[in-house]
Amino acid sequence: MSRLPELNEHNTERPMIMHIDLNSCFASIEQQSRPMLRGKPVAIVNRRTETTAIVTASYEAKAKGVKVGMKLREAKILCPDIVALETDPPKYRHVYHKLLAIMQDYSAHVSMKSIDEGVIDFNHADEVTKARDLVGIGYEIKQRLKDEVGVWMRCNIGISTNRFLAKTAAGLHKPDGLDVITSHNIREVLGELKLTDLTGIAHRNQARLQSVDIMTPLQFLDASAETLHKIVFKSVVGEWWYKRLRGFEVDDVDTQMRRVGRQYVLERFDLSREEVLQRLHHLAESVGSRMRRYDKSARGVYVYAKPREGKYWHASSLSPLPFFSDATIYAQAEALFERAPSDIKEIGIHCYELCDYSASQLSLFADEIARERQVTGIIDDINRRYGERTIHSADTLGTGEYMRTRIPFGSTRHL
Amino acid sequence: MNDELFLNEQIQVVALFQAGHHPCRPVRFKRANGKEVEVSELGLRHPLPQGSKTIHIFDVTDGGTDYRLEFDSERLTWRLTREADHYE
Repeated sequence: MSRLPELNEHNTERPMIMHIDLNSCFASIEQQSRPMLRGKPVAIVNRRTETTAIVTASYEAKAKGVKVGMKLREAKILCPDIVALETDPPKYRHVYHKLLAIMQDYSAHVSMKSIDEGVIDFNHADEVTKARDLVGIGYEIKQRLKDEVGVWMRCNIGISTNRFLAKTAAGLHKPDGLDVITSHNIREVLGELKLTDLTGIAHRNQARLQSVDIMTPLQFLDASAETLHKIVFKSVVGEWWYKRLRGFEVDDVDTQMRRVGRQYVLERFDLSREEVLQRLHHLAESVGSRMRRYDKSARGVYVYAKPREGKYWHASSLSPLPFFSDATIYAQAEALFERAPSDIKEIGIHCYELCDYSASQLSLFADEIARERQVTGIIDDINRRYGERTIHSADTLGTGEYMRTRIPFGSTRHL
Repeated sequence: MNDELFLNEQIQVVALFQAGHHPCRPVRFKRANGKEVEVSELGLRHPLPQGSKTIHIFDVTDGGTDYRLEFDSERLTWRLTREADHYE
């Protein structure tokens, strides 16, 4: 809808958006694959150290107060018998693709929001599917997940007229819930939630809303578009919220890849400068290979370092011509990193200003670029055929043991 | 807490190949020490690409211990790579 709805107007069309969210995804997948862990508190971590943060906790662990983001050491105090397992990305990718295949059986318009959640837009489904009851399809998907992946797999399903309310519905009854939000029950549903239960409202937005006495989701719903636009969000974002809460779609947008990056929390905090640079080199190789997989080259490199104490440090450089090789990315990152602080705990590197890798570029150094492109292409081919990092810089010979690829949250582009 | 034992043991496997969502299901395997393990449940099977080759990972249990079996689809060999118990 292009015009703004009236204050009491809600989207009364048939709910055709289904949000599917796997419950405690990684922990459930581990409990599925290792039956002896079922019913036991499980924490998934990126590295088995006491100071590592928990990526996912099973419902049994959550029931004992363990939360995502908590240090493993703290979790063990709350739950001494917790079993910590390292992430197993290929396993999670497999389940992701299984879930995606199930969802695509119902509509061609499926978008995955992250590795454990996705949306089916039934507006684009065939007529036979459209004619079916979506609640029935929801229960069918739950059963198919059990049949096709495993009996321990559960998911929350939410159905509504837009993506935001469908996601809200999926969060109402965890685990294994199925809820529908329509114009008839929207006030009842929002009446039971807090502002921060709404996706997109974290502490900063909550403070903005509370500054104009909007303390609950119902008051948020009853706020005028003008208040939200001019006073609360001071931008068109206010109007988006006004429409979103009324069930009108504003979030069906395709995102474009603007940058490719990777970060790494150092395995020890007493590494020498040279060892930190080796890890930066490893990240540069990883980013370069990922970028070329999407047939992209970049013009910019951005590096950052988080010291153990003190402020986040970052630096970037932009080149007139695009580049694509690991060596060039690292050369730029290394030069930038000369100004980085010491006593670092995390480093990261991003390539930005992406353009098509294959687009020809006139240059005085065309021969040199052609040769670099050939060598890079051959290395990529060998790595694709014989496995990642079959060929890499000698400088990063010892880093692979620590720097295995982890599961990316948010974007599903690299899955 | 860290209960897994990492192994690289060649094993003999009896597996059932069938139609359906789980086309290959190990049902019994014999370890290097002669011990035979009856698989009571296949937890999950997932592929692990290694370049152009695929290893199939089977996480299974005998009801007391969880095992990870790896099937090399190129060499047609099975290995036991993980064993996990002691959850108490």
